[in-house]
Amino acid sequence: MELRRYLINRTFQIIITFFFIMTLLFVLFRIAPGDPSSMIIDPAMTPEDVASIRQQFGLDRPLYVQYLIYLINFFKGDFGISFYYGEPVLEVIKSVLPNTLLLFTSATILSALAGISWGKYAAWKKGSASDVALTLTGLIAHTLFLPWFALIMIWIFSYKLELFPLNGMISPEIWLDPGCGFWAKSLDVLYHLFLPLLVLFIIHFGGFLLVMRSSMLEVVKEDYILTARAKGLTDREVRNHHAAPNAALPVVTNIGLSLAFSINGGALTETVFSWPGLGRELVNAVSQFDYPLAQMSFLIISALVLVANLVVDVLYAYLDPRIRY
Amino acid sequence: MTTQDQELFDNTCHPVEFPRELPPELRAGERARHGLARFLKALSEGWRTFRQNPLGVIGLSLLSVFALMALTSFIPQMINPMYNPMTGVDPNIMGIQAPSWKHWLGTDFLGRDIFTQLLVGAKVAFIVGFSAAFMAVALGTMVGLVAGYFGKWVDTLLMRLADIIMVMPGLLVILIISAVIGQLTIWNTVLIIALLRWSPVSRVIRSQTLSLRERAYVEAAKVSGAGSARIIFRHIAPNVLPLSFLYMTFRVTAAILVEASLAFLGFGDPGTVSWGMMLQWVWKTGNMFQAPYWLLPPGFCISLITLSFYLIGRALDEVVNPRLKKDA
Repeated sequence: MELRRYLINRTFQIIITFFFIMTLLFVLFRIAPGDPSSMIIDPAMTPEDVASIRQQFGLDRPLYVQYLIYLINFFKGDFGISFYYGEPVLEVIKSVLPNTLLLFTSATILSALAGISWGKYAAWKKGSASDVALTLTGLIAHTLFLPWFALIMIWIFSYKLELFPLNGMISPEIWLDPGCGFWAKSLDVLYHLFLPLLVLFIIHFGGFLLVMRSSMLEVVKEDYILTARAKGLTDREVRNHHAAPNAALPVVTNIGLSLAFSINGGALTETVFSWPGLGRELVNAVSQFDYPLAQMSFLIISALVLVANLVVDVLYAYLDPRIRY
Repeated sequence: MTTQDQELFDNTCHPVEFPRELPPELRAGERARHGLARFLKALSEGWRTFRQNPLGVIGLSLLSVFALMALTSFIPQMINPMYNPMTGVDPNIMGIQAPSWKHWLGTDFLGRDIFTQLLVGAKVAFIVGFSAAFMAVALGTMVGLVAGYFGKWVDTLLMRLADIIMVMPGLLVILIISAVIGQLTIWNTVLIIALLRWSPVSRVIRSQTLSLRERAYVEAAKVSGAGSARIIFRHIAPNVLPLSFLYMTFRVTAAILVEASLAFLGFGDPGTVSWGMMLQWVWKTGNMFQAPYWLLPPGFCISLITLSFYLIGRALDEVVNPRLKKDA
């Protein structure tokens, strides 16, 4: 019951946050120098199209009406026409969203799991050679400059060793060949996914490892660890079932806090690897002055971060029975 | 709060003041001298703790190398104008060339000296990092103090705002802003970074303020008629400043990284040579596989300066929170 109230509370907060971001974006685009219609109307459009779009977005109406139309259009899924692609923004976003989700969720989950288990191990063997090696690796991985590291990985693995494709997500020849089935296509995507995933994984596991290690070092000083040992439980049991679950809580919080940061990293990775995702679409849209697409990819990414935050909250509430306010 | 925390605050907090005891000019001088001595003592004690952390010392040494780079960045161009990072062209060189005695790290696609660009990049990183961090921390500290001291709806409102800003992906927000207002200068970038990065600081400062405002000496100040502003700035702020200082080292890294990423994506200030800009040039001109002497140095610098600030931050953490010291 309490849990349900907590979650409803958090959902409500997240909806408010999203409205705030939407409003901010609206204000940003309206206080911009120049005619706001230039932000929505492609210079290449015919006068008839321009007139219909002006009417559709209510650009000839007062600001508050424009704001209402903006909100209504968003919830109707009518995001306007992308200047660059010449097709509805919604279609563009629909086609790239799964790619971003694939790369981003797999990277986050894998790096969190690795960070937690290696951090647990490092803290348990504190001061040993493996602890020093793991901590230093984590430290260096945590501070690497992502796009540069991605370029170096491409240089080594794709250019020198020719093990992986240089960029992209699919090989057209496989996808155009009618003889290739689902598995061949999936394998092809995995083959393209490997390097960007590896880059994101290496960049992110370090942070999780460092947090897990220091949180674990705090936990092992607790009395209940002493009790568990005194009961005669094996070292392994104490580590995995008594210390680690409690030590992992700050890591979960950290996932939530670092989401915005890792979304930035995701956009950089997508851009360097030409991975057809939302982040790269945003970067391209901004450089091509494709305002409708830029605006909507930004909103969808923000919504993604917020939903992911909610998922982390649920996970946290599930892991820590004390969080029931 | 543990005993150590208690001690930490009791050592650093100002004594209870009784405003009308001494004539103002005398009091001010007295306090200034007293404050300075206390500050120097705290500093030398802090340095002793800091020195015991080998990783912190490594971080500080790395950082001094970068500081040296930044400080000497104007020298090559004085020796010969061809070393100008932006406009300098060697008359004998067209485009990219591998390292030589004349150009220690080679030249870029316009025949400009990469080594000088690297030095100037250090200067830009320091300017961006410190100014953005200073603004972010100053703003975050102010917000945290006000929220913590006044509580109630002020607190709720400010902390909700901090939450909202915390979940916004900073780099992408700057991208969208640059889409709207056009090319960002380096100072616009710094300002926006500061506006997006104050919230973690404000959370920490707020929670400290919450406990500090219940202290007896704050009570005493209130009773003796001090106003809210005076209590916040004279009695509470000095006690949270060490924490703000700690947070500044972390904010510096964040700011350098955001500027570098932005420049890398092609949205940097075209009038400055930053490390991110250098990476953007090597990437966009398609030379990343041919010219490792051009690709490697800027990224090394960004990564190492991040590492050094991170190590310093962790070591400072021990100075500010002695409780952590035993774990190391």
